[in-house]
Formats: sequence, C-alpha cells, structure tokens
Amino acid sequence: MRKRTLHRGLTGFWWLTLAFLYLPLAVVVLFSFNSANSSANFADFSLRWYFQLLGNEEILSAFGNSLVLAICSSVIALGIGCVFGYGMYRHRHRKLGWLIVLIYLPIVLPDIVFGISEMAFFVQIHEWTGLLSPGLGTMIIAHVTFQIPFVALIVYSRFVGLDPTLFEAAKDLYATPVKRVVHFMLPTLKPALISAFFLSFTLSVDDFVISFFTAGPESATLPIYIWGAIKKGVSPEINAIAALMIFAVAAAAILSLAFSRRRPS
Amino acid sequence: MSYSGVMPSARSRAMVRETRHLLFTVTPGAFWILLFLVLPSAYLMGVAFMTNGPYGLPQMPLSLASFERLAGFGFLGWSPGNLYTLLRSLWQTLVSTALVVVVAYPIAYYITTCREKWRPILLLAVVVPSWTNQVIRTFGWMNLLAPGTPLSELAEGLGLVAPNMGLYPSNFAVTLGLVYNFLPFMVLPLYGAFEKLDTAQVEAAQDLYASPVRAFWHAVFPQTLPGLLAGIVLVAIPAFGMYVIPELLGGGKGMMLGNLVANQFSGGANWPLGAAGAILMLLATFIGLYVMRRLGKRLGGGEEVVI
Repeated sequence: MRKRTLHRGLTGFWWLTLAFLYLPLAVVVLFSFNSANSSANFADFSLRWYFQLLGNEEILSAFGNSLVLAICSSVIALGIGCVFGYGMYRHRHRKLGWLIVLIYLPIVLPDIVFGISEMAFFVQIHEWTGLLSPGLGTMIIAHVTFQIPFVALIVYSRFVGLDPTLFEAAKDLYATPVKRVVHFMLPTLKPALISAFFLSFTLSVDDFVISFFTAGPESATLPIYIWGAIKKGVSPEINAIAALMIFAVAAAAILSLAFSRRRPS
Repeated sequence: MSYSGVMPSARSRAMVRETRHLLFTVTPGAFWILLFLVLPSAYLMGVAFMTNGPYGLPQMPLSLASFERLAGFGFLGWSPGNLYTLLRSLWQTLVSTALVVVVAYPIAYYITTCREKWRPILLLAVVVPSWTNQVIRTFGWMNLLAPGTPLSELAEGLGLVAPNMGLYPSNFAVTLGLVYNFLPFMVLPLYGAFEKLDTAQVEAAQDLYASPVRAFWHAVFPQTLPGLLAGIVLVAIPAFGMYVIPELLGGGKGMMLGNLVANQFSGGANWPLGAAGAILMLLATFIGLYVMRRLGKRLGGGEEVVI
C-alpha cells in the first residue's frame, strides 16, 4: 500500500519535472507562431516571423558561419583526435600520465576561462605578428581544441574494446602500414568516427561562450546572433530562429532514438 | 614484454621505432592542446600578475594589484563589490547544486522503477532539453518570468514579489536557470548508481525490520554516493563559473564570478583583474576535483567519480 503511494507520488513528480524541463522551450515555440509584436500576449497564429527570417541576411550569414565552423572544426578534430586516440591506445603501457592531463584539461576547464585565455592569447599574438585576427579562423582553432579530447577518447575506447590479437593478425599477414590503415583500422573505427564527428559537430553548434570570446565582427554564429538580439531588446524573430533550432534538436533526438532501437544490443 | 629474447641491437631498434611511432601519433594532438590551451592559460596566469594599462591591457611592472582589487581594495579605498560577487557565486552554486540533488534524486530513482524498455526513452526525455543551446533555454525563462506573465502575476498575487517587478531579473531567476540547466548532469550519474543498486542489501535491511527511512539511509544512500559525487562535480564546477545565465537572468545585481571575469575583457575594463578572477575559478575547480576524487576513492567509487 505504502509502496503504491510512493510510486504514485514519484509519477506525479516525474510529470511535474518534465513540465519544468519543457516549459521554456514550449514558450519559445509558441511565441514563434504569434502574430503580435510583443511576447506578452498571444494574438493569433501566424508564420510571419519565419518568413522574416528568410529575408534577414544577418541571420542567414550567422547560420552559414555556424555550419562552416562546425564542419571545419569537426573534420580537423576528427583527423587529429583519431591519430591521438590511437597513439594513446598503442602506447598506454608507458607512463602517459601527462597525456591524460592534456586530454582532460579542455574538458574540466571552465568555459569562461577557456574562452578568455584563448581570446587574450590570440589578441597578444595578433599584436606581435599580425596573424590570427579574430574571426572564423580563431573560432575554428578554439573549437578544435575542445573537440580533440572527445574524439580521442571515443577512438581510444573503441580500440580498447577490440581483441588485441587483431592488430597482430594484420601484421602477421604482411599488411603494409597503409594497407593496415585502409583495410583494418578505418573499417573497424567507422562507427566510432561517425559518432565522434556528430558529437564534435553538436558540441560546436551548441557552444556559445567560447565562440563569443574568439569571434570577430564578421563571424557571428547563430547563438551569438541570438545573444546580441536579446541584449539589444528582443525582436520576435528570435523566437522563430530559436524554435527552428529546437525543432532541429527534436529531430536529432528522434533519429538517435530510432538508431539506438534498430541496433541489436 | 614481447621483445624479450631479441638481440639487444634489434631490441633497441624496435624501441626507437616505437618512440618514433609514439611521436608521430601523439604529437599533433598534444601539440595542438599545448599550443592553443596550455600556453594561453599560462599566458592568462601571467597577465594576472601584471599592471592594468590603458584600454585595460596588461602592462609591466609585475604586481599583485589585481588580487587586491579582487579582494576589494581599489584607489577609492575598500569596497565590498567584488567580494559580494564572489560570495554570490558560492551561494548560488551551493543552493542550486542542493536543489538539483533534491529534484534529480527522485527522478533518477523513478526511472529505474520503470520497465526496462522505457528507461532509455525516459532518460532521453530528461536530456533532450539540454541539447538546445543554452542561450535559447535561458531566453525561454526570460519569456516565462518577465513582468506580466502568468508566473510573475501569480508570484505578485501571493505577495512574493513587489507589484510590476516580475520574477526576472533577480537572484531567484538565476537560481532557477542554474537548476534547470544542470538537472540532466545530476540525473545521469545518479541513474547509473541506481541501476547498479544491490537490492539484496535493501531486502536484508527490511528483513531486519529496519524502518523505510533507516533502510534507505543505510542500504540505498551509500550505494548511490559515488553517482551523487560525480553529479556534484558535474554541476557545481560549471555552475561556479557560469556566464550566460546570470548575465541574462540576473540583471545588474545577479552577477557571478564568470560575469566579473568576462566583463574585465570587454570595453577597456581590466585584463589583469579578469585574469586574477580566472585564477580563482581555476583554483576552485582543481580543489573541487581533488576533494571529490579523494572522497570518491575513499568510497571505493574509484575512477568513475571524476568523469
């Protein structure tokens, strides 16, 4: 009896928490369809803010910047991180303690310290050499820095999960290093590389703080654009662009669920 | 090792090859992080010990002035502004972490009581909101808590806030935003702990006529402690340095250390002061990680406690 009351209470608490989690997102989506200018009251259903987005060049260029940044940084991080993860695996019998520090540092460093030290460093280098002026280039460098550890750890754990004799088998069959990479390493790593790419991509799109401090005047990404619009005083377009990003995340969530269900575990 | 019994020269050649291999594979990544993270951080630490120059840029000579400013000493004498910001960061971190635990603990337990095939979906339901950008989520709360919205009117009706003030900007809004933001980070490790729970201990406690409260306290709670500690690390450390939420929901009076630091780097403020704040944040991070690691080891949770 008491157990049932407990369970009922927990179920109620669960739905309350769920409402808490989705309420702010629901409000943004709701007001994106509002025909009125103010977000204080909901007048009528309309798509006008969505149409206004299409004509807003600043938003379109922010969208483009977000994509370029996410793709470029993920590809670079994938290349470097993959080799790094393999090196960690192959040489883990040595004392690689300092490497572990390097791997975890970008993860544990507070965002704001990360972003500001990069910014201060880039500004100083720019002053001395004229290189690294703030813009997409510096943002890509910063994003690669926080993506490398995730890629390396994913690749590393994939290798650790493999049977070590596979490596020796490939060697014993006189495969050249290139053949070993093409016919053995890459195929076995494929799932890890795909998930590492998507994780890097998501991390990049999601990041605001580090982008904000390494961005230049021309390289605002979507979160930076939204931030600026909020700071200036809200324009209702923000609801529409934010709602689109929420839809993208929802789609990704449904896809990932579908994939994880299809895979026999 | 596999080299035993090989001729010394061949062995040393193999060693050289191995070392070269190590260099080729590990160097690019390590070099990248050293160049673009360790070096900038070291530079920032150096900045903290320099003097504030024109446009807020760092200048020689070396000094401890920025640490004095952080403690409140300026050219106008002592003022508690920065100390208030510090204390507020600590307080907000403490309160929001505690609230996150209070909400996440039953949620994580609830998910483990559900049918196995539903659990991944329920976990996903908790995590999905955190996939949207932090700026957007915080913007959603701005819409919800602004003056004139149903929640604000309710609070006004109950006499919790002054009329026409709304719930935001306020310290309360910041706490709410922090709890909202970090809830999934606590639910996930706690769920991991609950899933591994050894129910035999609970049954033994019940067989020995332990009251539900005692059974929970002695049989359940200690087993979830490693997950709880992991969650606290994941919540408290980023909360302490939070920038976006206090900036949007706190208004001028809700500033936290992250805002203090960030503001010193924009618009000709004071780089050395900002860098000193960053050092403080790093110290707090590493002390927090160290303490949790020690506690985790003592509890036998071992490595999983720190990420």
